[in-house]
Amino acid sequence: MVFRDVVKVYPLPAGDVVALDGVSFRVDRGEFISVMGPSGSGKSTLLNLMGCLDTPTSGDIYISGTRIGDMSDAELTSLRRDRIGFIFQYFNLFPLLNIIENVTFPMMLKTGKGVDPERGREVLRAVQLDDKLFTHTPTELSGGQQQRVAVARALINNPDILLCDEPTGNLDSKTGAGIMDLMTDLNRKGTTIIMVTHDPNIAEYSKRTIRIADGRIVS
Amino acid sequence: MIFWEIAKRNIRIHLLRSSLAMLGIVIGVVAIASMGILGNSMVLSVSDSLRTVGDSVIVTPHAGGGGGGFGGGGGSSSALVITEQDYQQIKRVSAPNIAIPVLQTTDRLKLGVGKDDLVAMIYGIDPEDMPDFFILESGDYSRSSSGCLVGSTFAKDNNVKVGSRITVGTDGNKGTLRVTGIIEERGMAFDVSTDSAVVATQDWFNNAYSRNDYDKVVIKVKNLDDITAVKEAIEKQMNRRDETVDVMDTRKVMESIFEAFGQITTFVSAIGGISMLVAGVSILNIMMMSVTERIKEIGIMRSIGAQRKEVMSMFLYEAMILGVVGSIIGGILSLLGGYAISSLMLQTTEYLFVPSSLIHIVYGMVFGIVICLICGIYPAWRAANLNPIDALRHE
Repeated sequence: MVFRDVVKVYPLPAGDVVALDGVSFRVDRGEFISVMGPSGSGKSTLLNLMGCLDTPTSGDIYISGTRIGDMSDAELTSLRRDRIGFIFQYFNLFPLLNIIENVTFPMMLKTGKGVDPERGREVLRAVQLDDKLFTHTPTELSGGQQQRVAVARALINNPDILLCDEPTGNLDSKTGAGIMDLMTDLNRKGTTIIMVTHDPNIAEYSKRTIRIADGRIVS
Repeated sequence: MIFWEIAKRNIRIHLLRSSLAMLGIVIGVVAIASMGILGNSMVLSVSDSLRTVGDSVIVTPHAGGGGGGFGGGGGSSSALVITEQDYQQIKRVSAPNIAIPVLQTTDRLKLGVGKDDLVAMIYGIDPEDMPDFFILESGDYSRSSSGCLVGSTFAKDNNVKVGSRITVGTDGNKGTLRVTGIIEERGMAFDVSTDSAVVATQDWFNNAYSRNDYDKVVIKVKNLDDITAVKEAIEKQMNRRDETVDVMDTRKVMESIFEAFGQITTFVSAIGGISMLVAGVSILNIMMMSVTERIKEIGIMRSIGAQRKEVMSMFLYEAMILGVVGSIIGGILSLLGGYAISSLMLQTTEYLFVPSSLIHIVYGMVFGIVICLICGIYPAWRAANLNPIDALRHE
């Protein structure tokens, strides 16, 4: 993933807000990067751009070699579905679906049809979730278990990048450490991980840290 | 497909509010379908009872004018009559169709010693013409002048049988008739309505009421295509100088009756349609609710790769399920309701199970489903076009 002179401006009635002001960096395959910065620094904007949820005002972003600036909504959506795995602070599982269905959901989006639940089970075992929980609904699981399911959902389409937004922000430190061990393990097996956090202890799991303040990279 | 499954489950977890919205659709379908069925059944039922008289031209004295000639003897109920001379003219221009002169009055009848008097219509018709008019359910046509036929309702209500005697007039001053036959039910008719009447012979009637003229002439037209020509010929002949007669073509009358029925059916169904629109608003309402409560969920779906049209389809499925289930329940209830209404109001259900009635159930159901889909489009469109970033941040 490459960011080159990326500027993002939000036009507001009170005046334009410059959220990112000429950001350039590069993430190589297999890296484990954390993005740190105080609130209002442009972290969320950066995450939205990396996740192809938004396009830059100027500058170029390449994801897996594809420039996302001129893509249509449908193309961006397909890119998110096929290349990027999202992990959120609040897990964000679908309450109407059971665990297996939650995990295989992105795969169903990709194939446009039903999916062999065995594939879901495989990924769930890889994130060390107990087999007997597979047919439960998300609310019946603990926070740590839910986050493991979310990781499994993010991995099901074999994405190029795993984007994590405060993945341990809603977990106690012990459970959070368990999730981070899982991340480290995944990274060791080759998954590229970009993690946004404000917790220095969590950032220590990564191999490199990008610090951001006032829309610029400071280190 | 997973979105279909989600739509189904969302309806299931909000079963109460979904059922209430569906109830609106059910009521709408029932309103449209049962009104349509009722209207159609009435048209069919009336047309069945009128079919036998659809082949007649009826000539009556002109109500606004001075009547014809010398008529209006003793017991006549009306001063307006058709004279023998007029009748001969009508007969001539109507040929080769049969022109049947009819006498009619209302009088007191007594059906036996100790029984109360009753008042009924009495017709006077030449016995030779009777077979052209009536089909008997029992007995025989009158041969002697004091024989008479009675209508089926009259016979049933007053326990009259073939051979019964009927005394006519105040204190029986008009004489006694003997029932020789009972006429099959004819229903409502423009020519002669016999179901609750007595049909005496023309000779007896002339004697009893001192008549030598007629109250109306009924022309039975053999070929229905001639009906207008016969009508015009009579009008031309009889009303050359003055309006002496009114000529009614029963087929025209029937057509305008059916037209009026059709309009009433359409009007009443349209009122049913309004209830469907109200139901549509409640569908719109719960679909908007469904979108608003799930903004975050939509944001998650969009961010992990659900396309706009997939999100849209999920909500359209939801609206469609409400519409289809509501319409099916409504269709079944309409069938039951139509059955109940038909058997209560028309005393028969034979007009329910015909395509022209059942099609109204299909109309109602299709309208219900279409309304649901239309009312689902805007909420679904809104859901699909939410900004994923904002939706994701929504609490």
